Amino acid sequence: MISSRQRALVEFLLDNLVWLMLIVVLAVFSLTIPNYFQIGIFANIIEQSTFVGVMAIGLAIVVIAGNMDLSIESTAALSAMITGILFASHGIGIGFTTTPSWLVLPLSLGIALFVGAIIGALNGFLVVKLKMNAFIVTLAAYIWVRGLVVAISGGRSAQDLAPEIRFMAIKTFLYIPYIAWVAILCFAVFTFIMRKMPFGRHITMIGGNAVATFRAGIRVDRLVAISFVLAGAISGLAGWLLAIRTSGATANLGVGMLFNAFAAVVIGGVSLKGGIGQLPGVYAGVLLIYSIHTAINLMGLPAHYTQMILGGMVLAAVLLDTAKLQIRQKLA
Amino acid sequence: MKRLLSTLLGALAIAAIALTTPAFAQSKGKIYYMVPTLLDEFQTESVKAIETFLKQVGYEPVTLNADNKTDLQQSQMNDVIALKPAAIVLAAVDFNALKPSIEKARAAGIPVMIFDRQITSTPSDLTSVAGTVEIGYVAAGEIQRLLKEKKGDVKGKILQVLGDPADPYTLDIQKGFEEKMKEFSAVQIISLPAMQWEASNAGSIVADQLVANPDIDLIFVHAAHLAVAAVASLEAKGKKPGDVMLVSSNGAPVGLDLIRKGWENVEVEQPLYAQAAAIAMFADKVVNKQEIKAGTYKVLGLDSALTIESWGPNLKIPGAAITKDNVDQPQFWGNMKAPSDPIKPVE
Repeated sequence: MISSRQRALVEFLLDNLVWLMLIVVLAVFSLTIPNYFQIGIFANIIEQSTFVGVMAIGLAIVVIAGNMDLSIESTAALSAMITGILFASHGIGIGFTTTPSWLVLPLSLGIALFVGAIIGALNGFLVVKLKMNAFIVTLAAYIWVRGLVVAISGGRSAQDLAPEIRFMAIKTFLYIPYIAWVAILCFAVFTFIMRKMPFGRHITMIGGNAVATFRAGIRVDRLVAISFVLAGAISGLAGWLLAIRTSGATANLGVGMLFNAFAAVVIGGVSLKGGIGQLPGVYAGVLLIYSIHTAINLMGLPAHYTQMILGGMVLAAVLLDTAKLQIRQKLA
Repeated sequence: MKRLLSTLLGALAIAAIALTTPAFAQSKGKIYYMVPTLLDEFQTESVKAIETFLKQVGYEPVTLNADNKTDLQQSQMNDVIALKPAAIVLAAVDFNALKPSIEKARAAGIPVMIFDRQITSTPSDLTSVAGTVEIGYVAAGEIQRLLKEKKGDVKGKILQVLGDPADPYTLDIQKGFEEKMKEFSAVQIISLPAMQWEASNAGSIVADQLVANPDIDLIFVHAAHLAVAAVASLEAKGKKPGDVMLVSSNGAPVGLDLIRKGWENVEVEQPLYAQAAAIAMFADKVVNKQEIKAGTYKVLGLDSALTIESWGPNLKIPGAAITKDNVDQPQFWGNMKAPSDPIKPVE
């Protein structure tokens, strides 16, 4: 028989397991890999986590609501390409300017969010109104939206965003670029929304048991649709940030990020069955993935190791999830 | 009844006109271009160039995109073989995996021309390449020059950013480059791949390495679109143009822009227009199964050596090193000025 204090400690450890893993991994890498332990590398990890991190927020919300969104990567790519085409001055960029010049920042952000929200709304409509399977709907969007990126760019790239936008990737605060602060801010805001606001609590309830939630008088369809729109808009934001980082867009920008986002969500403790998961855990998952990416970059190992390690970690995370559930049942 | 008759007569008239139009009469048949991907400016422009040049010599070009998937390209080859076209132009996703498809096409009497990505493991009817290993050689020569100019000797630290490690194209460039750099023991090369040729992956590699190895003298990236991300990372680390030397390959428009802005020193060009023009120049000979003779041929003004190898006629077109001195020359495909003079078939 364990005391309530011990139980609380075990619960705390289970809830924050991914953070513990992150600390252990960072400590091991710092001790064993030359040049790893320095502020510049940690700042790089946070910066590189920005895009997948932001995408993972939207994905996590949809997954917690008991659905799936495979379109986030392509949606981000579309937003990045539209940002590039409109506001970059070389390649296929048309170099659109505003008066005053700073207006280009909110304008480009607004367009990127809008583009993402449109894709999300379409997904939401097909899933909620036409009762189509979310996996298939968003898989189709993953394919057709990437096709749209290639179609509107003609396979070419847009380069050289205006300095009024680019400063977000160049200027730093506490060694961390502004774009990474945007990601951190997003995690803070959406953590608050998911924990403290009715929307977040209802989304979690829907993922846990949609029928019971509906019977409790909550508008399930409306909230599920909003979760898709949010995921789309957040992916649009990720694409905007990605375009800023690379100072434009290429047709294959963001390829492969969907799987990293999924890995982060699962490693971060979000249940693919819905109803369980917290965004800080997802952020820890993203940081963990990019700590490993950076370690592999510094060690000069073939990049395939990253994929092998990531695959292993996703499996381990699912096993841990099962183990956590069993431990919790024993504690109860 | 009257209306029916007039409709039928109209349809017959249209069919007759269609059958006697010069375009139909001139067509020498369909040639399929199997492009490996369209997520790359070189490939996108190659489609335009090959289609334009093949039309000029009387063929009807059709392009199929394999989306970087070997299995898809194999299936496309099977489908195209069933359609019995005049010829196939293949830029293989995987150099070895397409060997059986090439053999199957040739066994069915369909000639296969290899574009850009050399296949030496089985015979083909014509190969038009710049040579990926040779791109590595040219890059090595230029990098030796740059290091010597800056440091007085060929020494220093080089970060080599490859493309996707599963792509033989980037591995061949690496092979050529490292072979030529081997003799310089004072040069340290750090090689890392940008998975899936994705720009932000290249940017992350550069950002990490600039922190771990701040004494990097030169960055060599295997594609111009990766150079853009590399520059973004250099800029984010407070570097100015020229602080770290940059060399890239393939000659895409973005690479040429970076040279003009002073960020990039050399772009090793793949002579896309000449490679594509060569396909059109030799198309008649290949389709009619006529002998192709070894020798030197002028392809869009470039002296190109055609040799008869164990895998068939092999036309190697020299890749050029683009620097700030010659960046504006119109023959570089990165300047997007496709040759206006029509291609003439080889007699």
